[in-house]
Amino acid sequence: MESILELESVTKEFPGVRALDSVSMHVDRNEVVGLIGENGAGKSTLVKILAGIHRIDAGTMKFGGEQASFRSPRDAFDRGLTMVFQEQSIIQTLTVAENIFLGREREFLRFGIIDKRAMNAAAKVELAKVHLDCDPATKCANLDFAARQMVEIAKALSLDGRIDSDIVILLDEPTSVLERREIDLLFEIIKELKNKASIIFISHRLDEVLQVSDRVYVLRDGAVVHETASKDATITGLHEHMVGRQLDHRYYRENKQRQSLGKPVLSIRNLSIDGEFRNLSFDLSEGEILGIAGVVGSGREAFARCLGGLLPPSGGEILIDGRAVRLNHPHQAVNAGFGFVPSERKSEGIVIGLSVSENMTLAAGKRFSKFGFISFERERAECQRWIDRLRIRTPSTKTPMQSLSGGNQQKVVLSKWQIFGSKVAVLDHPTRGIDVGAKEDVYELIREMAEQGVAIILLGDTLEEVIGLSNVILVLKDGEVSARFEAPVGAKPDQIDLISKMV
Amino acid sequence: MRKPRIPARLSRPTKNVLAFDTVESINWRALAPIGVFFLLCVVIAIFSPNFLSVSNAIRILNASAIPVVLVMGATFVILMGSIDLSVEGIVALCAVVTASLVLNDTFASDLGLWAIPFAVLAGGIIGGINGSTHVYLKVPSFMVTLGIGFVCLGIATAALGGFPVRISDRGFRALTLGRTLGLPNGIWVAAAAVAVAMIVQERTRLGRYVYAIGTDETTARQSGVPIERTRVLVFVLAGLFSGLAGAMAAAQLGQGHALIASGRLFTTITAVVVGGTALSGGVGSVLNSVVGVLIVIVLTNGMVLMGVPPFVQQGVQGFLIIVAVTLALDRRQLLVVK
Amino acid sequence: MGKIANNSIMLAAAATLSSGIYTASFAEDMTLAISMRSLSNPYHATFARGGEAFAESVGLPFEVLVTEGNSEKGLADIRALISRTNGNVCINVDPNDSPDAATIVDEAKEAGAYVVTQWNKPDDLHPWDHDPNYVAHMSFSGVGTSKEITNALIDAMGGEGGIVAIGGILSNVPAIERKLGMEMAVAETGGKVEILDFQPADWNETKAFEIMQAWLTRYGDDIKGVWAANDSMGIGALEALRQEGKDGLVPVVGIDGTEAALAAVEAGEMAGTVAWDPMWTGGMGLSLCHAAASGAIDIAAEPAEHREFYGTGIVVTSANIAEFRSRDASFDFNDYWAKSTGQIQYQ
Repeated sequence: MESILELESVTKEFPGVRALDSVSMHVDRNEVVGLIGENGAGKSTLVKILAGIHRIDAGTMKFGGEQASFRSPRDAFDRGLTMVFQEQSIIQTLTVAENIFLGREREFLRFGIIDKRAMNAAAKVELAKVHLDCDPATKCANLDFAARQMVEIAKALSLDGRIDSDIVILLDEPTSVLERREIDLLFEIIKELKNKASIIFISHRLDEVLQVSDRVYVLRDGAVVHETASKDATITGLHEHMVGRQLDHRYYRENKQRQSLGKPVLSIRNLSIDGEFRNLSFDLSEGEILGIAGVVGSGREAFARCLGGLLPPSGGEILIDGRAVRLNHPHQAVNAGFGFVPSERKSEGIVIGLSVSENMTLAAGKRFSKFGFISFERERAECQRWIDRLRIRTPSTKTPMQSLSGGNQQKVVLSKWQIFGSKVAVLDHPTRGIDVGAKEDVYELIREMAEQGVAIILLGDTLEEVIGLSNVILVLKDGEVSARFEAPVGAKPDQIDLISKMV
Repeated sequence: MRKPRIPARLSRPTKNVLAFDTVESINWRALAPIGVFFLLCVVIAIFSPNFLSVSNAIRILNASAIPVVLVMGATFVILMGSIDLSVEGIVALCAVVTASLVLNDTFASDLGLWAIPFAVLAGGIIGGINGSTHVYLKVPSFMVTLGIGFVCLGIATAALGGFPVRISDRGFRALTLGRTLGLPNGIWVAAAAVAVAMIVQERTRLGRYVYAIGTDETTARQSGVPIERTRVLVFVLAGLFSGLAGAMAAAQLGQGHALIASGRLFTTITAVVVGGTALSGGVGSVLNSVVGVLIVIVLTNGMVLMGVPPFVQQGVQGFLIIVAVTLALDRRQLLVVK
Repeated sequence: MGKIANNSIMLAAAATLSSGIYTASFAEDMTLAISMRSLSNPYHATFARGGEAFAESVGLPFEVLVTEGNSEKGLADIRALISRTNGNVCINVDPNDSPDAATIVDEAKEAGAYVVTQWNKPDDLHPWDHDPNYVAHMSFSGVGTSKEITNALIDAMGGEGGIVAIGGILSNVPAIERKLGMEMAVAETGGKVEILDFQPADWNETKAFEIMQAWLTRYGDDIKGVWAANDSMGIGALEALRQEGKDGLVPVVGIDGTEAALAAVEAGEMAGTVAWDPMWTGGMGLSLCHAAASGAIDIAAEPAEHREFYGTGIVVTSANIAEFRSRDASFDFNDYWAKSTGQIQYQ
């Protein structure tokens, strides 16, 4: 077999983080290679290097036997390495054919005018390769997600015959929002495509990876820790390689987990959002930490956003202290007592242009103002207390938010809801993208909040985190609760148990 | 995520024949402006039967000619997610250029209809300045075009010392005063402008890239779309149309002066938005904007016909604009309204 | 270069004529200035040119301040000019808004500068209460002039029939006065002339064009005359008529005496307009101001009708356009009140 893509000791560093540490891997012609790893293992960095978004710091990348360094995603595409991302690179207002040939219309130009018929005909040829039955002149906004994904794959395959080199298609979490039936179709198509292109398949779902790949790489902490032929691998085995680290009880402050809980505060009854999750019910007491586990697309993100007032529920009831509350708008959620810490911290959690103190008191503005006028002294004093308590590294309360590190920004977000006095904290990946030291501070703060009686709903960055922090864990699968695990100190459930209910 | 309207069918790989039975459902919102237009016509016709006369239809089309030419350019700019506020400045300056180049009372020149290419070119150059300043100095289009618009008005004022240049060339004025096949020539010029804009929108890379940039600039950039060049070209295009509109305004009013275009900017932006083109970019079309212009012009015409008291007119106009925009926008898709 | 050349000859003539008369020497560093809305409309451009003609005639430095419709800017510029010249300045100002006049007068009084105001001032602000720095206020009678031009329109219509009327911005004082004058003239016909419709076009040519089109649909041949509150709107209406081949068939009148309107009167397309003679208000306002400042006249001793007075609005029709064109545009800058038509009346 001949290697199309070869990485040799590739290293990539970001300020303070070594994202990739001497990674070596290869993709052979007509091969499907699986790539797995936990969040933060370095997968997305690797993908961005292949896509031409990041440049490597050390090591070599060879494509088609030659040294390669892609200048941009477009450059990578032109040379045969194409990506199909979760955040699709399809422009919704353009038609299928226009998307497939975007930026490459020259082929169809006659005196500066695009020959639409020729372009649509060419697009049809590409669509046939992925067995997508749709009019190339349809606007992409009219297609569903699965079909759009096929359009992207068709776009990648359109290189076949137009460039000399081989084609490598990188599928990043392609199944996460697909229905079972669509996933089966995708896999059949992938098997068929093998004679036209090589494929790198990235997924959280280990069973899918084993099903579709010929060979699997496991990444952990920026390094390849395992490589195996799929036929020799098991889900359990792969998972152990993925997690690797011994569980450390102190890391998650398990000694501070509350044994006795306060009075019930939140009741969820048959909560549903069409197309996201169904009939979710549970009760939550003061000081209780409820972990929610599930793969991407299980509905857990939607649930968290629902409690943040960002996605109105389509059915069911939410009761706080026994009173039903409506969550059609974020301010209703805030007033009902929910403090939502979104996973997209930079775009949703903080207001970049404002200062630390302005962010901290954003929700609780009323407490620091009289007749609409802000009392800056009281605001400053309160914020300083929180800065000291959470060890937020900032020169002053007036420092603009963007000059803080991710971990410190997250502490500000958490303190915002503490200052406001939220009864239920909804933490959507609170430790995403922050360094280890800051993570521990966040865990400490979560424990403190629980101690003070705040009920907490946690969507963890890793299973380990969910298990370590939670009193009880709900596992979501395809929008429904597939299992409920009690997680008292000393009798925490095993990751494998959870995974078996997740996939 | 928004639920798709038409799930395209994924056929089984084993089945090799592609069956084309995906039915394109009609996007009712895109038709809303046309609905508003017809409703408006019906209401006016009930109160004032004269409204439906052929001569009034011609009057309405005639009054629409210049705004239609203007929205051709403005639509592309807005589709791209930018805005062009220099319309009045460019139109005024180009009207002055036109009036000065044909037989007139101030300068000794007599280019006749050949003045039009100069006016259009002048508009294109100013558009190019708009675009390059916006793109290469990274100044928001809002500020650049506002500033350049004032500069144009300033030049038009300074060049003439505040006086109008009056056109004495009857031949040139035939551009809007003459008739061909029973319709005033201005209408034909506007129709030609629409045809050109439609070709650009539907059949050229420029048109395609405008939608791509307006919808998702990052993705467009990653797909190799030349963002900077496209942006500059779109402002040049808008300038060309404004230049043509300037020549038409000069022909229609028989003069060129700094204030000749006052009020045009509001009509232009209103028409584009009422036509259903989103200010956020990516959604809309030049044909939508033609309908938008007709709505705005018919409204003015209709209110006089119906004898709506002057002090009520502005209120009615504002109210109907909001209604039209509301109908044309799918508000569920909008998370942030600015 | 037809018109511009003509005008410069006029200026030169004016300068030569008056320079001989002014022989007395005044404070050499006195500055003369004009403050007004904008240079982009012909009225104000000519207004400034009148001021310039006077300044040239006495050989003093001359400045033009432009408010751009912004009162703040107008006041700031005047304040700066006063402080720069240590109050040794004469300003002929067309205030952006009535209340501005009071502020300007106060500033001038404090610094010892001299001002003449045009058109806009509060009704209770009078020059004689601020001797000697507030020299005079000049204006034109909107009601009276409008009534005269409307009569000219009615004459052109043969004394009867329906007219359509295009007004300025509804809340503008001149717009209100001109509309009132028009209505008075129509009322005096005892029902022979009827106002079919009145629509404001906000002083805007294009708007007037569109409204005129709609009227043609609504009233068609019932329209026997078109009244416009200014010439720009009159021209807009005329062009709408031209579009239908009706130019010259339906009489149109405007107010302001712009070159375009005068030419249309000459061509028989407009029935008439009113010339304000901004050349005179610009030049004579400054001249009067300068005379008071230099002591050539004791302004405080002048009667009220010399302190607040209307200028002459000349109704120009096809009957007198030739005469109007050939009239001696230069005037004696020492004959301050020759064209006054009486003391300003408040309603």
